[in-house]
Amino acid sequence: MRFATDTGGTFTDLVVEDDDGRVTMYKASTVPSDPVAGVLAALTLAAKDRRLSLADLLARGDTFIHGTTHAINAIITGRTAKTALIVTEGHRDILTFREGGRIEPFNHTVPYPKPYVPRALTFEVPERVVYNGEVLTPLDESAVLEVIAYIKAAGVEAVAVCLLWSTINPAHEKRIGELLATHLPGVPVTLSHAINPTLREFRRASSAAIDASLKPLMSRYLGGLTQRLKEAGFAGEVMVLTSGGGMMAAQDVAEAPVRVINSGPSMAPIAGRYYTDLEDKGQSAIVADTGGTTYDISLVRDEHIPMTRELWIGQPTRGHLVGYPSVDVKSIGAGGGSIARVDAGGLLHVGPMSAGAVPGPVCYGKGGTEPTVTDATVVLGYLDPDFFLGGAMKLDRDAAYRAVAEKVAMPLGLGVEEAAWNIINLATENMVQAIADITVAQGIDPAGAVLIGGGGAAGLNSTFIARRLGCETLLIPETGAALSAAGAMMSDVTGEYAVSLFTTTADFDYARMNAALEELRAKCAALANRAAKKVLATRVSIVAEARYENQVWDIDLPLTIARFNDEKDLAAFRAIFDDAHEQIFTIRDPSSHVEIVGLRATVSCKVRPHEAFRLEQVGKVDAKLGKRSVYFTGIGWVDTAIYRLEALPEGKQHQGPAIIESPFTSIVVDPQARFRRSAAGSIIIHP
Amino acid sequence: MTDKVLNGAEMAVLNSRLEGAARKMANTLLRTGRSGVLNRAKDFSCCIVTADCELLASAESLPIHVLSGPDMMARVMKEFHPDLKRGDAFLHNSPYHGCSHAADLTLLAPVVDDEGVHRFTVLAKAHQADIGNSEPTTYMGNARDVYHEGALIFPAVQVQRDYKDIGDIIRLCEMRIRVPAQWRGDYLAMVGAARIGEKELLALGREVGWDKLQAFTRQWFDYSEALMVEAVKAMSSGTVTASSTHDPFPGMPPEGVTVKSVVTIDSDASRITVDLTDNIDCLPCGMNLSEATARTGAMIGVFNSIDHRVPKNAGSFRRIEVKLRRGCIVGIPVHPYSCSAGTTNIADRVANGVQAAIAGLGQGVGMAEVGAVIAPSSGVISGIDARNGKAFVNQIFLAFSAGAAAPKNDAWWSTAHVGNAGLCCIDGVELDELYQPLLVKKRAFLTDSEGAGRHSGAPSTYVEFGPLKGEIDVGYVSDGHQNPAKGVCGGQNGGAANQFLMSRDGGKVELAGCALVHVSEGETIIAISTGGGGYGDPTTRAPEAVAEDVREGYITPDRARIIYKVSVDAAGNLDVAATRRLRSN
Repeated sequence: MRFATDTGGTFTDLVVEDDDGRVTMYKASTVPSDPVAGVLAALTLAAKDRRLSLADLLARGDTFIHGTTHAINAIITGRTAKTALIVTEGHRDILTFREGGRIEPFNHTVPYPKPYVPRALTFEVPERVVYNGEVLTPLDESAVLEVIAYIKAAGVEAVAVCLLWSTINPAHEKRIGELLATHLPGVPVTLSHAINPTLREFRRASSAAIDASLKPLMSRYLGGLTQRLKEAGFAGEVMVLTSGGGMMAAQDVAEAPVRVINSGPSMAPIAGRYYTDLEDKGQSAIVADTGGTTYDISLVRDEHIPMTRELWIGQPTRGHLVGYPSVDVKSIGAGGGSIARVDAGGLLHVGPMSAGAVPGPVCYGKGGTEPTVTDATVVLGYLDPDFFLGGAMKLDRDAAYRAVAEKVAMPLGLGVEEAAWNIINLATENMVQAIADITVAQGIDPAGAVLIGGGGAAGLNSTFIARRLGCETLLIPETGAALSAAGAMMSDVTGEYAVSLFTTTADFDYARMNAALEELRAKCAALANRAAKKVLATRVSIVAEARYENQVWDIDLPLTIARFNDEKDLAAFRAIFDDAHEQIFTIRDPSSHVEIVGLRATVSCKVRPHEAFRLEQVGKVDAKLGKRSVYFTGIGWVDTAIYRLEALPEGKQHQGPAIIESPFTSIVVDPQARFRRSAAGSIIIHP
Repeated sequence: MTDKVLNGAEMAVLNSRLEGAARKMANTLLRTGRSGVLNRAKDFSCCIVTADCELLASAESLPIHVLSGPDMMARVMKEFHPDLKRGDAFLHNSPYHGCSHAADLTLLAPVVDDEGVHRFTVLAKAHQADIGNSEPTTYMGNARDVYHEGALIFPAVQVQRDYKDIGDIIRLCEMRIRVPAQWRGDYLAMVGAARIGEKELLALGREVGWDKLQAFTRQWFDYSEALMVEAVKAMSSGTVTASSTHDPFPGMPPEGVTVKSVVTIDSDASRITVDLTDNIDCLPCGMNLSEATARTGAMIGVFNSIDHRVPKNAGSFRRIEVKLRRGCIVGIPVHPYSCSAGTTNIADRVANGVQAAIAGLGQGVGMAEVGAVIAPSSGVISGIDARNGKAFVNQIFLAFSAGAAAPKNDAWWSTAHVGNAGLCCIDGVELDELYQPLLVKKRAFLTDSEGAGRHSGAPSTYVEFGPLKGEIDVGYVSDGHQNPAKGVCGGQNGGAANQFLMSRDGGKVELAGCALVHVSEGETIIAISTGGGGYGDPTTRAPEAVAEDVREGYITPDRARIIYKVSVDAAGNLDVAATRRLRSN
């Protein structure tokens, strides 16, 4: 039996896969002060469902897969370790200079961000390597020892080291690592060339500093989780989801916690790819995960999940740049809790302010006074006030109606239903713009892609989003309400390795390129061997980070050959690059040389024994639950058929309007749209 | 024309879509540009103007590029090419016809609907690494006139027809612009950006209808104006005069150039007037402003001083009047006076003067002066790369930190100058050392150089660099040595700029503020950039904030005691009682 959990801000999702391949899904409230408690509560629900004690359930488990926001929360709330940074002489301010840039150029109310490691804990050591790896100034070891003595006296709990050009020649960083191990035993250290071998020293320094600062805390957290699961009866293996969309053994996370910063959201596209392939193999997909306060968008392009190095904790240029490659997930502050208001000039705004989980939307009756997107959906009849979360929570429709009437309809001079519709429409537009931003950056035409709606609130406006984007198909997976946990269950054990090297098609360095490729493959093979006893299949993919000469922003180009033998191989590579560049940016430039600045390899070891992934039907319910009145713009109140998701038969094409409900979600299909349930159990909507 | 009035919800959606189109253009330009000034420094802008040539949407563009200029450029395009066709595109960089300065090459593409009606114009403006000047710099402060400057000047010259390049123009550029392959890459990026914007707008027009879009623009301008009215009503009326002085550069009077800005706030009528007419005539140097940057400079000063949520477009602009004089250095330049450095040096003095003047109206509005440009650490470097024998020319962006303090906040440090508002990115040392034969020995913030105040301006930066191999030329126009960024409302000045040449034997020679310096192997340049001005009396700054500045090494305990009247030891431990005593005297 395997368990996959994803701890979100509001809910902890759990997906359980029994040994015979049956899949079930649970949701429990997250306990922010003790995330493990939420995990155990969800597991308790699964045990009850099987008439087992928690201990008996856990005793049957062999793998526990965990997605956690513990690392990112620690950074946001400043609970990371006291960390020192050692840099090349003359370059103490790397983390303060950052890479410049700003958003909102006229907004002078936002303070300039402080460096991730205070300047007072940043130390220079005499040494210098230049662009080609030659040593200009040898490392002054006595100076390093002085710094170590100071660090020791200051009570530092973790140390990061980032020297210029350490990716080309890491000798000095490695030597400092040795000196730290000798003179500061027990204090975790992160060397920049080892954690994130990228050319940009700020990103490397930032990755190293963040990684080091998380080591003590993540060791403790994962140690505690493993211990508590063990005490509760679990004897299997604990795995943690990575930002790269794979999973790694919990004990390995302690060595590189920066890898799990975006643990969780990175899994949605794994599930998205799985469900897309079941319907239309190879189709590109936009995977949108709607939560209470955030809307996370990720992509699937040609079976690949695009990665980014621009993962920010907080807002771009105002927060901290992780610098480490992560699944490209764009998050905006939009969701059911987004507040609608009309400004002094009569313009409607939805978000970015959110009512959050507390007090929440007005209809929750927990003290919220500002109308939210959820309130608008209640006014329109999209949500059944008596069947929210399967009836676990009653919604106050009258209060929602009053709030929308007073705060939006009156100032806009609209009827209450039209005002509510406009709230949904503007929230939809905000989500569409966020999708446009990420798709243009990754070169995907939304009109040619499938939209995947994940998260409990996805069904409320995804039909409208798909129509606005021109997507022909909206797909809401059976496990959509717990998409990340489902992705976690499908994910592979992965290892990620990178080398920094610079070469160009003008003067291609075959020897170095091929040596680097061999080195990467050896590392991948080593990981596969380590996990060998459970691995069912292994796949290695290598991307080249490439660009036209003098461009700075490279694109990830999957390599289709194992080595570069001759000019023919090089020409083939080049042609693929031109095509990819044209696909993403609409232009190709055959007259410019192509530069490669790095290689990244991912090894994926398949460990899940089952192919199918179907939710088990629990109990018997009717497919059609009667009708209720729902408001659609341009038409008015319409008697609308209500279907039960789990019981809807496969194959039959239906015409909207319809609402498809389950205890976890509510899917709105307006009169123009058609829908059916696919053989894979997904709801397929053609807007 | 339609009578249908859009409601506030429809307005919000359409605004979001137009801003989205401008953002899509900017994303494309950023990701595909070749020269560092584009892809690292983000020295570009993308915007949409209406068929009547009014600024509608500009995403988050460089302020000095867009507030005024795109409107004039589009007007000139229409005047010179009255019969606009779909698939046309025009190059424009003429400061005598609405562009900011010659280096800001702009591609304009008219958006023509299916009936052949011109509906919008999209603009992609990008600072070029080179524009064919007689010297390898795009800020030629010493240019006697446009002939000496030597830039190629395109007053809305057609470069595409039916979406195809007009080869004559491309070849002309390739013969006159340094590193032509890099230029062509940047040109392609601009075309890509403009065409993506055009495609978006055509799709939007077909979807919602052109008449409705036109109704939207009218209403959107009215909405923006209404917010501007509110913002100005919140200020107190009065007329204030402020002056801001540029250091003497070649071609300038020995005392430098003082720019006088007379700002009148009429709160009742909700109008702001900036009068720049009482200033000297154009000078025989590259420092004259174009009409676009003179107007924009004044508008930046205004928008830095008010609620940032007011949209910046032709609607809010109705409430600002900028008075300019033909033939004036901060007015409408007369050909052939050169505007080579028209976006930075003197333009900054206009914006700074205006925001400092508004600060003089009383606590709570305006802003201190932002520091000046362009220190050698952001200069244009060129030469033959001794590692491979290839020619190179590029503006590098190693360091700047000129941000000014605002009424309620410390400065945003990484601001290059007031016209750029911090949008510019800073290069990584490794990237600069890879692309140019450079060695950056030191890059840091300079202790005790911040503009002290209740809210402090940014400290200066200190960069030491030189050729790793061979030799390089470094061109710069470094203002702010004699006239650092001024503090306001009791705030103090920011650190001053300076630069030195360090010879092989350790000798240190101070360099001129405006020069093209030849640096040989073993020599280095030390570049100190300006800091930013402070806002409010430094002795009212929160003592804990002062203590943190000491702890982090930005200021010394002596400066804390003398300037801020805060007692703090070298480790940053605050002595509360001693501070109270210091401050009560």
